[in-house]
Amino acid sequence: MNNPSSLEAQPLPDSNVPCLPYEVEALTLRHGRYTVIEELQLGLPSGQLTAIVGPNGCGKSTLLAGLARLHAPAAGRVLLDGRDIRGLPSAELATRVALLPQEALAPEGLTVTDLIRFGRQPHQAWWQQWSEEDQRVVAEALAAAGLESLADRSLDTLSGGQRQRAWIAMTIAQQTPVILLDEPTSALDLGHQLEVFELLRKLVGEGRTIVMVVHDLTSACRYADHLVAMRGGQIVAEGSPGEVVTSQLVRELYDVDCTLVEDPVTGKPLLAGLGRVQ
Amino acid sequence: MIDEKLRRPMQAALMLLLVTCVASLLIGAGDVGVWRSLMVLFRAEDADAAFTVWSLRLPRTLVGLAVGMALAISGALLQAISRNPLAEPGLLGVSAGSALAVAIMLSLGASMMELRVGMAQLGALLGCACVLSVTRLRGVGNDPIRLVLAGAAFSSLLAALTSLLLLMDQRAADEIRFWVVGSLAGRRVDDLLAVLPSMALAGLVLLALVRPLSSLALGERASAGLGHHPGRLRLLAVIIVALLVGGATAIAGPIAFVGLVVPFLARSLCGPDLRRTLWLCLPLGPLLVLLADILSRCLVAPSELPLGVLTAICGAPVLIAVVRARRLPTLS
Amino acid sequence: MIERSSSAMPQSGSRLPSDHRLKDRVTAPRGYWWWRQGRFSVLIDRRDVLALLVLLLALLVASGTYLCLGNVPIAPAALWQMILGEGEAMPRFVVEQLRLPRLVAAVATGAAFAVAGCLMQTLARNRLATPGIIGIDNGATAFAVASVVGVGLSLAPSAMALAGATTAAVITFGLSVGGGARGYRFIVAGIGVGAVFAALTQLMLARSAIDLANAAWPWTVGSLNSRPPNATLVLLIGLVLGMPLSLWLARSLGLMRFSDAVAMSLGVPMRRRRFQVLATSVVLTGLAVAVAGPVGMVSLIGPEIARSLGSPRQVPVLGSALAGALVMVLADLCGRLLLAPLELPVGIVTAVVGGPWLLWILLRSSGSR
Repeated sequence: MNNPSSLEAQPLPDSNVPCLPYEVEALTLRHGRYTVIEELQLGLPSGQLTAIVGPNGCGKSTLLAGLARLHAPAAGRVLLDGRDIRGLPSAELATRVALLPQEALAPEGLTVTDLIRFGRQPHQAWWQQWSEEDQRVVAEALAAAGLESLADRSLDTLSGGQRQRAWIAMTIAQQTPVILLDEPTSALDLGHQLEVFELLRKLVGEGRTIVMVVHDLTSACRYADHLVAMRGGQIVAEGSPGEVVTSQLVRELYDVDCTLVEDPVTGKPLLAGLGRVQ
Repeated sequence: MIDEKLRRPMQAALMLLLVTCVASLLIGAGDVGVWRSLMVLFRAEDADAAFTVWSLRLPRTLVGLAVGMALAISGALLQAISRNPLAEPGLLGVSAGSALAVAIMLSLGASMMELRVGMAQLGALLGCACVLSVTRLRGVGNDPIRLVLAGAAFSSLLAALTSLLLLMDQRAADEIRFWVVGSLAGRRVDDLLAVLPSMALAGLVLLALVRPLSSLALGERASAGLGHHPGRLRLLAVIIVALLVGGATAIAGPIAFVGLVVPFLARSLCGPDLRRTLWLCLPLGPLLVLLADILSRCLVAPSELPLGVLTAICGAPVLIAVVRARRLPTLS
Repeated sequence: MIERSSSAMPQSGSRLPSDHRLKDRVTAPRGYWWWRQGRFSVLIDRRDVLALLVLLLALLVASGTYLCLGNVPIAPAALWQMILGEGEAMPRFVVEQLRLPRLVAAVATGAAFAVAGCLMQTLARNRLATPGIIGIDNGATAFAVASVVGVGLSLAPSAMALAGATTAAVITFGLSVGGGARGYRFIVAGIGVGAVFAALTQLMLARSAIDLANAAWPWTVGSLNSRPPNATLVLLIGLVLGMPLSLWLARSLGLMRFSDAVAMSLGVPMRRRRFQVLATSVVLTGLAVAVAGPVGMVSLIGPEIARSLGSPRQVPVLGSALAGALVMVLADLCGRLLLAPLELPVGIVTAVVGGPWLLWILLRSSGSR
């Protein structure tokens, strides 16, 4: 078993070498009697940005909750580094997997730094509340999210994009190899969306595994290395966006007809000529 | 006025009410049992039992009828004007307001029934105005549950003030304490007569207002669009509620939850339209109050339970059921 | 833009961003004192320290006043002499036998109520979710009254109040679990449960003999005048155990102010913590009710004062305790003095002050936290 500090000490590789396999085995998740996800198999590539896409109610947020152990499985397992996450103590899991839920709310009156410091809590104990390490990591998280100038601003006074970056900075400070995000850009305008996606790319470039649920297929194509398309609690397609995303898939997922064109700048697929299936 | 959807529940409720009224005359805590009371009804010569039935139980039953109708109607009205299924005179502090007004009056030394009624109605009006004006602020009114919290805070404040009065004045305390728990015991026909005129007035005004008020359920704009004046309507409704609740409180003391339970039952029997709900409240309100009153006489015989205790015990589960319902039932 | 990766990960400790605050090696975060000793490394929030000092000072002054004022006024100088072990017999008797035990009871109940309120508010993420409002007080009161009027068992009031508080809490939480326990619904479910227990209390008072009913009456309004023997001692024991536990829980509670998902993601074992927080809160409430009856408003006012004085970064457990004790002492002092020789029960004083306060909270804010 790796303890968290030895995990951090390993130099994280730049390439897509798996360093912490994260797998889902025959996972079944239920809300009460209603089965949301049944017998789902999934492997998440390490060191890559995986996007989970699909229509509303397809179970993508539930899957994310299952990955983070927020939602106890009715059957099946989630394996992190070969171990069932149900067997991990909460504090240990928090040093490996960070989750940023949709529309996270903070108590009033916290500053950006305060919020980021909360991300250090899994690494601390009541008798060890601050260390050089903590200070360094908090400063780095601030820098990574580009929030140095806002460090002492109250969260309530920030714009939506800045606040979302502050939350992501908190998960950065948690120093987990895996970060899960539930629709990190849902409430943001175009500029702020790009801000957040570029920050995520930067984190992946540092060797982290990121899994995010997104609504916008175009952004998913553009920024994700790996795409998981879901419908009705099942995985419809999986693979790199360039290979997976076809007009047939779009039709299957959203009942929408479209033509795929290549983005002249990024070379990624772009959806054009959208229309409801008649 | 009485349409198909209303007829059957109405008939059933009226029958039950009749049975309950008779039962209320027959059953009691004292030594005049059911059989002896029954003989009195058929002219048997039994002066003792006759006194019990005609001078003690009959006034009590009549008071129960009036109080039940008043509370149920005012509950339905409050719910219509605040568009909130949890609005209720007891929960919103209207009853507590009139209780405090009466307590103040009693501690000042006046104890005339007519005066008491007037004070109770004034207190109810003030209480009602306070809570409802509070709910017009900053979106509280749109949240049914916050209205209840505001009411709870308000009535606990008023109740504390009432206990303060009780403490300061021992002489008045005995008179108030007897009355403040809410009971029908020992009420006389004279008490009822003092209240009846104002209640009848309220009823008449209400009769004229039923149609415009039912349009309020569609929302303020829609109501105005139908040619009514929502503001004026609401004011009138508040005055009616104050007259009814104040009157009921003046005779029987504050009795909670009747105004919540009865309209809730009525709505589930005949649908949400105010025009039907109000009619069905008329028999259902007294039915609940009289049943609770009969129980209060029997449960711990030979002594008696305060009526308010029983209505609280049957009302609180309804409150919880309403809140637990996934979507709060709307009053469309 | 995708390739540009600045090395901010752990292995790059030497290449720090040039933040001016990092030049002098390690400093405490802004607004903290940092105490380091061997393996211990503790952050002390300056604003919290200031708030605690202010509250402590106020509590000391209030306590001094409490001991001095009353039917037999005692000069502060005489009180000082007494503390030094001198002074005359008569005032000494008044202070040591009459006022001091009552002061201790006031401080203990105030602290217990306020800490219980603070825990419960944070647990439910709603500042209105105090034990008094969600019916736990009423449950404890009903059972305590039952023990006094001798319905059923003849357990000590403390044990009975504890059982009542637990029963009410279990019912309220049980009812709110199925129906989607969103903040306000849960509170109204609690109001309903409280109403039933209040009615049961009335019922027992109505059934019992008049002198027994009079003996039980203080519980129904909240008073420090008729404390059952030993109840204060039991409460003090409860506080000695409960306060360190609450302070330890405060760390998790700080994260539980966020949404469940965030708290769990930051390593809080939610189910276990929730149970611990609830249990601590219920026990403190029950034991305090056994002493003073339902003075529920303190559990609303105390944490509110502590929050407004202290820093927003922490859950103010200690501050709530001090503020609650302060409120209780002041309220009882007012109750004793305002209408002397008549004594106002402390529950009425706090309700008269707390009712408007509660309304103000409801109107002013969205009621979150």
